[in-house]
Amino acid sequence: MTPTVQIEGSVGRVILSGQFDFSAHREFRQVCESIIANADIKEVLVDFQNVNYLDSSALGMLLLLKEKIAAASKTLALVNCRDTVKQVLEIACFGKIFTIR
Amino acid sequence: MKILVVDDTEAILLLISRFVEALGHQALIARNGQEAINVWRQEQPDLVLMDVMMPVMSGPEASVQIKAEAGATWVPIVFVTGVGEENALADAIERGADDYINKPVNFRVLEAKLKAFGRTLDLNRKVREQSQTLADYYERAEEEKRVVRHLMDQMVNSERLADPQFDYWLSPAESLSGDLIAAARTPGQALHILLADGIGHGLTAALNVLPLTQPFYSMTEKGYSITDILFEMNAKIRQVLPIGRFVCVSLISIDEVGGTVEIWNAGMPPIQILDQQRQVVRVCSSSNLPLGIVPSHSLDLVPERIYYKQPGYIVAYSDGLIEARNADKLEFGLPALLGSLSQSDDRQMLARAQTEFLQFLDGEQHHDDVSLVVARFGMDVQAAKTELEVQAVEARFDEISADFNLLAECSWRYSLILSAHELRYVNTIPFMMSFVKEIKSLAHVQSDVFLILTELFVNALDHGLLLLDSAIKTQPDGMEEYLAQRAERLANLQEGRIEIDLMGLKYKDAEVLKIRVKDSGEGFDWSNASQTSASHTVHPSTAFGRGISLVRALSLKVQFNGLGNEVEVYYLPAANPATH
Repeated sequence: MTPTVQIEGSVGRVILSGQFDFSAHREFRQVCESIIANADIKEVLVDFQNVNYLDSSALGMLLLLKEKIAAASKTLALVNCRDTVKQVLEIACFGKIFTIR
Repeated sequence: MKILVVDDTEAILLLISRFVEALGHQALIARNGQEAINVWRQEQPDLVLMDVMMPVMSGPEASVQIKAEAGATWVPIVFVTGVGEENALADAIERGADDYINKPVNFRVLEAKLKAFGRTLDLNRKVREQSQTLADYYERAEEEKRVVRHLMDQMVNSERLADPQFDYWLSPAESLSGDLIAAARTPGQALHILLADGIGHGLTAALNVLPLTQPFYSMTEKGYSITDILFEMNAKIRQVLPIGRFVCVSLISIDEVGGTVEIWNAGMPPIQILDQQRQVVRVCSSSNLPLGIVPSHSLDLVPERIYYKQPGYIVAYSDGLIEARNADKLEFGLPALLGSLSQSDDRQMLARAQTEFLQFLDGEQHHDDVSLVVARFGMDVQAAKTELEVQAVEARFDEISADFNLLAECSWRYSLILSAHELRYVNTIPFMMSFVKEIKSLAHVQSDVFLILTELFVNALDHGLLLLDSAIKTQPDGMEEYLAQRAERLANLQEGRIEIDLMGLKYKDAEVLKIRVKDSGEGFDWSNASQTSASHTVHPSTAFGRGISLVRALSLKVQFNGLGNEVEVYYLPAANPATH
């Protein structure tokens, strides 16, 4: 998986695709670091439009991202979750700590 | 480079070795194949420039020997060939020589070839170093895995997993499992089963779940509730694991004496409750964040509680089981699991599910750790027997002697007084059980002592101080209502105290435990109640029900004093089988 980034004004959108699991670890981290370092971006959206599978290591990466984004005083939301992804997020009750749209 | 030049013609030998030295290399010389081998053995040169036809031993013969002795180390051998030596040369290259250069030597070409070999040798050296490092890493990782596997085996304690009340199956995706199954019983014989799934699999996942075992076992043994255990486990994980690491957990408590099942699920797939016909009657879905993400006080640690009247089964599993895919990329899925469970007899349920799962995969490796637990409730014969014993109430105190009270000596005493403030947060009975565990004559009867202490304490607190009415429990949803009222009244409790005394009394050869519990409440008319104490059904429902009957069944004598807010219980520990 190669995540891509779209920047529209102060919103940075990380678009993921395919399987989001441990193999995406490095690419995801690099993309996120570039977005966090960008002072113009105030809101980060992780876009799951093209993600068909999500495992527990992906949940761990999201937790890490949330921590870093909070430290950089930006906001974070998970958007465009398909049913399979939504199910995983629901079982983990991530709705309690993430904004999911 | 260190270059060995081999030639039987003195002039050529001199010419080539001087040229090699002029290029900045170190030249070694040999005048025939045998000498070449000797020098090679002593000096281990990086490269050999080898003549073909020589006395004593030819170049090709020597190069075969050198290649053989060099083994994994690559020593390039370049033949320096004269006209008419093509056959020998072809033969030599086939047997492992690396290159050749024609006589008379063109020094421009020789220089270029030496440079090329120099580059390849560097590359070769790097690859060898890297593969050595890789091999070291691999060995270290294997050793670490071995240590963690040992640690897990020790901490998971498979002995306790051999419990007739449940079956389990755990199949790791790698040599280490990130899924964990643990089980233990409280002093009151409630069965606690822990099913945990750490992030990922292999070493790191296994490390994630390890911190859970210690609070699980030690707190269960002391009789803590699953809420208390979860609080501690979450705190422990937050303390030891880095951000981004968490553990999905199901904690199940089956209390056959009380007829309740408690289930708490955080991040695990829905737990299925089946009836006797093995049909799903209830589903306990995850309603909490996995452990390790937020502080313990932000979690809702109150379990789902089921008061069962009929026997049934609890089925808990990790996502690795239902999400496992076969060669056609099809998921095993929950319907298949429930299907196989519904089609088999009681004891065969798990075994059948396991067989059908493996048939489905048909040799394909599952990518995540797989775990499955099938626990039974409402079928424990032992608990049913306790019920019967509770009915058979009789005072056996006289069997010892009438002058017991006069002659018995107190060998130890443990007293505890708690006022309203402490009662709100001190978990009294587990706290006292850690003392009871240390008393040698009681260690093997902890379970009895725990039951008696719990009943007496609950009576003193619920009815003595909180003035709760047990009649609420008989209404529909009464138990939930009762517990809600209890929690509310306890939180608002301003006055009152409870005294607990444990005494070890020695009388002749016997050692009797005396337990005294006194509360500051109003008490009840015990003289009236005791006349009809032969059956627990006629006990005043306001004060006590089956609890006190259970205490009577376990002890020699139960004696109420004063207003009825003080009770003394004499308990004779059964002989300790371990000392005989």
